[in-house]
Amino acid sequence: MLSENEIKILEYLAKVKEASAENISKQLNIPLDTVFSISRLLKEKGYIELEEKEHIKYELTEEGKRRLNEGFPEEKLLNTLAGKEGKIKDLKEKIGKDFDIAIGWAKRKGLIKIEDDNIIPLVQVYEAKEEKEALKKPEDAKEEIIQQLLYRKMLIKKTEKELYLRLIKETVETKPSITFLTSELLVSGEWRKYTLREYNVEAFPPFYSLGKKHFFKEFLEKLRDLMKELGFKEVYSDYIEMEFYNFDLLFQAQDHPAREIHDSFAITGKGKIADEKLIEKVRQIHEKGWKYTWDVNIAMRLMLRSQTTATTARVLASRPKPPIKVFTIGKVFRPDSIDATHLIEFHQLDGLVIEDGYNFRDLLGTLKEIFNGIGIKEIKFKPAYFPFTEPSVEVYGKIEGLGWVEMSGAGLLRPEILEAVNISSSAGAWGIGIDRLAMLLFGLKDIRLLYASDVEYLRNRKVDINAYY
Amino acid sequence: MPTINVYKWRILNELKINESKLEDLLFNLKSEMKPIDQDHIEIEINNDRPDLLFVYGIIRAIKGLLKRELGEAKYQVKDTDYLFEVKEVKSRPYALSAIVENIKLDDELLKELIQFQEKLHVTVGRKRKKIAIGLHDLDKIDSKHILYTTVDLNYKFVPLNSSKEMIVKEVLEETEQGKEYGTISLYNGKMPAIMQSDGQILSLPPVINAEKTRIETSTRNLFIDVTGTSLDTVIFTLDLIVTNLAEMGGKIGRVKVLSPYAEFSPVLRHSSIKISIDYINNVLGTQLTKDEIIELLKMARFDVNDIGSELEVIIPPYRNDILAQIDITEDVAMTYGYANLIPSPYKVGKIGELTEKTKITRVIRDLSIGAGFTEIFTFILTNDSYLIGNFVKILNPVTIDYNAVRNSLIPSMLQFLSKNQHARMPIKVFEVGEVVVENEKSETGYSNKLNAVYSIMNSKVSFEELQAPVHYILSNLGISVEYKKAQHPFLIDGRTALIYCNGKKIGIIGEVKPEILEKLKIEYPIAISEIYLDEIKELL
Repeated sequence: MLSENEIKILEYLAKVKEASAENISKQLNIPLDTVFSISRLLKEKGYIELEEKEHIKYELTEEGKRRLNEGFPEEKLLNTLAGKEGKIKDLKEKIGKDFDIAIGWAKRKGLIKIEDDNIIPLVQVYEAKEEKEALKKPEDAKEEIIQQLLYRKMLIKKTEKELYLRLIKETVETKPSITFLTSELLVSGEWRKYTLREYNVEAFPPFYSLGKKHFFKEFLEKLRDLMKELGFKEVYSDYIEMEFYNFDLLFQAQDHPAREIHDSFAITGKGKIADEKLIEKVRQIHEKGWKYTWDVNIAMRLMLRSQTTATTARVLASRPKPPIKVFTIGKVFRPDSIDATHLIEFHQLDGLVIEDGYNFRDLLGTLKEIFNGIGIKEIKFKPAYFPFTEPSVEVYGKIEGLGWVEMSGAGLLRPEILEAVNISSSAGAWGIGIDRLAMLLFGLKDIRLLYASDVEYLRNRKVDINAYY
Repeated sequence: MPTINVYKWRILNELKINESKLEDLLFNLKSEMKPIDQDHIEIEINNDRPDLLFVYGIIRAIKGLLKRELGEAKYQVKDTDYLFEVKEVKSRPYALSAIVENIKLDDELLKELIQFQEKLHVTVGRKRKKIAIGLHDLDKIDSKHILYTTVDLNYKFVPLNSSKEMIVKEVLEETEQGKEYGTISLYNGKMPAIMQSDGQILSLPPVINAEKTRIETSTRNLFIDVTGTSLDTVIFTLDLIVTNLAEMGGKIGRVKVLSPYAEFSPVLRHSSIKISIDYINNVLGTQLTKDEIIELLKMARFDVNDIGSELEVIIPPYRNDILAQIDITEDVAMTYGYANLIPSPYKVGKIGELTEKTKITRVIRDLSIGAGFTEIFTFILTNDSYLIGNFVKILNPVTIDYNAVRNSLIPSMLQFLSKNQHARMPIKVFEVGEVVVENEKSETGYSNKLNAVYSIMNSKVSFEELQAPVHYILSNLGISVEYKKAQHPFLIDGRTALIYCNGKKIGIIGEVKPEILEKLKIEYPIAISEIYLDEIKELL
């Protein structure tokens, strides 16, 4: 950006290429101090270079001024002679004290000759034109004239230092500058009068708060997409659940250790189920299978669901018509001490397939497809136990640098359960704990980072294109 | 899942296998092992296999997998002249007993036997409520007639690990076991007791044994009592213990019982299940032949009778997990090896689909990101002091920080912002999440609601600054809204509006009251808005 005076100076230099500060000051009518400071700025900006030059200068003396005003003695002499001879004595009187000087210089210049006491002019008229010009403009004068004037004490010679400005960069900027281009300037065309100031484009910008998706939420959505691609329909149920759907319908005995108070979060109140037939069926399978007296009141107790299999149980309770492929992803709640690997609320993915002839190898194939889809290429199957499935299986997956990690529990639904909901086809079901899996896949050291409460952590997290599959 | 500590050299020497082979075999028995020290391993056992809670139960199962012994293990049983008389014990009606002779205990094995008893107490016994076990040194019992009856609280005996005689009341109040299990079967001022015919107490089920019959490494013969509230479980537990001791080399001695439900014990109850080859192959997706299946079942330590079209599988007394054909089928799969079951190629079938909830969540997330908001993810559970209105309280929270279920996303958001006082401003954040509210129409009386919350925190914020993005997110969904001046406990009067569409309340927006900010130690002003996505879903 250039100021008005800077532009003026640069424009002047564009014409003369080089000029002294003083000269510029005179020419452009800018105070010399200002010229000095501007010249430094322009040098910094790279428009000009500065040079201090030794510089000879002739100054008019008082004598010089007087002669310029009054004329030279030899002029007076010749004017007085006016082309005719004259007596020295007379002329001396007429001319006065300058007479000697007049005689001397007139003779030197060959304007007169002296015979006896007569002065004979050799020219009709004389004007010391060159000398006067030289007094006015000593810098343009011939050397011999200057020498004469120095000798005659009309000029004195001085050596001066002077600052010279030389243009080295042609500037296009020959207009006042502004910071912002505005719509008004564009509409009016006024923008032509200005130049736009330069920015420090190499500096970093100020902080910008970016809109950004949450990495773990995104992971959950990717899982939903995967399940959809595999032909599953998403289902959903609430967090507040009755023990009936969380346990009883899933053939988990009422005195099963997993139903103890410290294994699930209890809520005041009782739910109600209109489906008396279903309740009766569930009573029968429990009393026959586990040989105890089943209590409907326990089944109606409220809790925060401890497994998304409760959602699967609700699907079963609706007595769906096979073939069925459903999945759900949602939060479950379990009392625990919260630390780097344990949360009291986390996500599970539960799936259910009901199909004629769906067998155990089909279930293993389904599980393999899901885990391969998540990006876990190597899995193995271990016999397991869950109250509601038989045969039951645990899925272990291999994770780089960690080895085999338990990832899912699965199995074919027990015939007692299918019978309770009038399903004659076979069915496979599974549950996958999502948060710990995500923690391992994201390489997090602490599971709580999935729910980081530090916004800077979210802002600074690199978005990894390979994070999901 | 229960775990047991095992002296590893015993199991490795008995089976003559190395440690990694043992690990593989345990894997196929649903179990896992990990080393404790040079001589001991910890084995995790699944809840359905209490027969594996003792090292000799594991050895018996592995012998089958290695085909060293096939079919059910045969144990010698002899009748003894002991009589076990059961009187009426209302609070704990069932009791049976048995004798096992010729056992050899060392320090390690004695520890593991006590551990076996304890693990059974916890799992099968449901912390001694359902059954409890007494192990006695038979040679320290002075009578062949043993009674199960009740005693009152003044009755005296010397409890285990004590040297002085105490009355029952003191035992219940002063011993560790008394404090923990004393109330389980205490009824009408009476406690169940097992005693000699001369009245000397041998044990006080389910609390503690008497010092008199303490078992030691020198013990050679055992008297075992099992008492409980479920006859079935009492029978099973006693069968389980004596068969595991017999596997160790003990000889089972039958006791005469005077009771309404049994004449002798242990019962050593067997049952049988008929199953067809096709059933097994259809369930597993295999093509196993009859002979292969018989072999696999014998490896799983079942006796099998080929009865033509079906097999009759005999269930040993210690396998209470076998309820039906499907359980037999799982054992076939386990002995065959899950690793040998090739997963079927997957068939997609019909195209899948997502719920409306997921669809609206995705649309809202995209628009919100477009509006420049960073997505956050907070917990459903919170502390009740942040919540207003009706909400669900947890009866048994593990920590006060999480003793309630949120009914709005606003408190979650404010808590989040309070933790971000030192982050770079402005903070523009949003969350789509679930809350729980009362709902008379639902079976439980509650239901989830899907909401979205938006917030801007900066050195200076205005209602309008947040209203603009929220407004245009909604208008992009084709929803034309109306704002009505409103009041909210968290929001500044005159700077709060309810958002309506077609007369339906779909959200709220406002600036947070300074007194609320102060309470949460927040030093920056906040504009916040909550949108009810279930209501919006109805409008789309």
